[in-house]
Amino acid sequence: MTDRAPGSKSGWGEVIASLIAVTVALVFAFPIYWAFSQSLRNPIDTYTVAGLGVPWINFTPTLDNWIDQLGTPETGMALYNSTVIAVSAALLALVLGTPAAYAIARFRFARWSNRDITIWFLSQRVLPPVATVIPFYLTMRYLGLLDTKFALVLINATFVLPYVVVILRQTFLDLPIELEEAAMIDGAGHWGAFWRIAVPLAAPSMAAAGLIIFAFTWNEFLFAVSIGSSKAITVPVHIAGAIDTRGVQFWFMGVRAMTAIIPPVIIALIAQRYIVRGLTLGAVRG
Amino acid sequence: MRWTGKIRFLLLAPAVIWVLAFTVFPLGYSLYLAFYKIEQKVEVKREKEVILDADGKPVLDDNGQPRTKNVVIKEQVNIATFIGLDNFKRLFSDPQVAEAIRVTLLFVLIAVPVELALGFLLAVLFNQHIFGRPVLRTIMILPIFATPLAVGYTFFTIFYEVGGPLAWTGIPFLSNPTWALISVILVDVWQWTPFCFLVFLAALQGVPDELYEAARVDGASALDMLREVMLPLLVPTIIIVLLLRMAEALKLFDIPFALTGGGPGVATQPFSLLAFRTGLRFFDLGYASAMAYALLIVVMIVVTLFFRRLRMNYD
Repeated sequence: MTDRAPGSKSGWGEVIASLIAVTVALVFAFPIYWAFSQSLRNPIDTYTVAGLGVPWINFTPTLDNWIDQLGTPETGMALYNSTVIAVSAALLALVLGTPAAYAIARFRFARWSNRDITIWFLSQRVLPPVATVIPFYLTMRYLGLLDTKFALVLINATFVLPYVVVILRQTFLDLPIELEEAAMIDGAGHWGAFWRIAVPLAAPSMAAAGLIIFAFTWNEFLFAVSIGSSKAITVPVHIAGAIDTRGVQFWFMGVRAMTAIIPPVIIALIAQRYIVRGLTLGAVRG
Repeated sequence: MRWTGKIRFLLLAPAVIWVLAFTVFPLGYSLYLAFYKIEQKVEVKREKEVILDADGKPVLDDNGQPRTKNVVIKEQVNIATFIGLDNFKRLFSDPQVAEAIRVTLLFVLIAVPVELALGFLLAVLFNQHIFGRPVLRTIMILPIFATPLAVGYTFFTIFYEVGGPLAWTGIPFLSNPTWALISVILVDVWQWTPFCFLVFLAALQGVPDELYEAARVDGASALDMLREVMLPLLVPTIIIVLLLRMAEALKLFDIPFALTGGGPGVATQPFSLLAFRTGLRFFDLGYASAMAYALLIVVMIVVTLFFRRLRMNYD
């Protein structure tokens, strides 16, 4: 990352710009901080905390809410389900999408151009999910797969597949083709060149794509709430259930919000370098 | 440079078949549903069942006949009646649909431009020498990946009108229909401005230094620099971000679900939430499919524009 100052020369302009930037970052961090602060409060303190709700200054923090919530079997089940579903969907999408991305990057398709195939994969991503949720629900009911993790793995793998194809297509294009050609001269077939040369070289990108789509699946709510009802409940559905049954218990809500937010956010930080390309479906290179 | 081995079809086929099976098939199925009125009924049947004893033999009554008991069998059945275009016609006269369209359009037309404008300004700001920029940039990434549903509920506690951290403003964030929509927009702006910011910042950092230098030598002011150098260079990126955000914003679901539940009344019920409730809460499946298709057509129009623009990136 190169630093440069197109507008301001330095000095006061720089100080003011820094102050504004810090303020902006604090504003954007506040809601997550607030959920965290709430998770540490005694129920009594919920509505009476003064100021910015800083632990030890405005109230005495407690871990009781965390212990209580993480100890319930429902929370454990939701965390387990979300992890299993997101990991399986990410792996499935990688298994399906990586060879497709390689085919688009390295081979020429005549009848449909490579570009049209890429665009076709991309178009799945912009479909409004509500258009497919009803037939998907009915299909799963017909197959007896309602309220199963399996059904949610299938649908999430479908929705994140375009990301895999688009991110890895670019990765394969960026790899020097000479390495694969050399391998093929040495007797490896196309499959050998793909499996032994290209895939290992693309591994970091595959890991990053896997992390990003794990986060998307983790955050998915519409299909999770439509398919899951008691056994296959994911973390977001678990959060939504809290309000329906017991009214709003802000202190527990804080814990639940944090348990939902922490995993995808940590992943975002790990995969930072790939985020711009991933989120714009490869249209902007970050 | 591109190879033509037959293996290319084998590599591509699994993904293509998968997508066909899980999106094209459901879409076809819901188009079919859209022409039907589907009623779910629970059929109750009473049948006589022979009572068995512990050994599995029928228990006999005084006359030597097997004794029977009445069993109630409940079965959920779908009754589908073909009604042609009636579901689509109903869309045009349904006040709930009109309200949902109003909410969705207002949301898209306000939230998306605000996110782009704010994101652009922040990107210009962060493109300067700034103290601790990597850390600040990292903080800005957090909202993008925070679970939208958890974000919605967190903001519910922030906007809480009795004892919330913003209660001192006296603003009816969630109880007033207009403010409730503004609140939904604010949450979306919080979540997606950082996305616009990140993409614009990446694009700005791709601008060659010489351009800034040249402009500076020509005596351009900071404002000129913004207008004459940065903005024109960023136009392609701005268009992509605009279309991506519009396609996503039209799907709005999680935030109002958590923050307002679509309320007060239906003041913040976007189209997706209405279709979801109609189909999977009230089980009016045919009508909900017609709704979903209407949304699909609108998104397709946006998306076609988007892909025409995007095609250039995939040559």
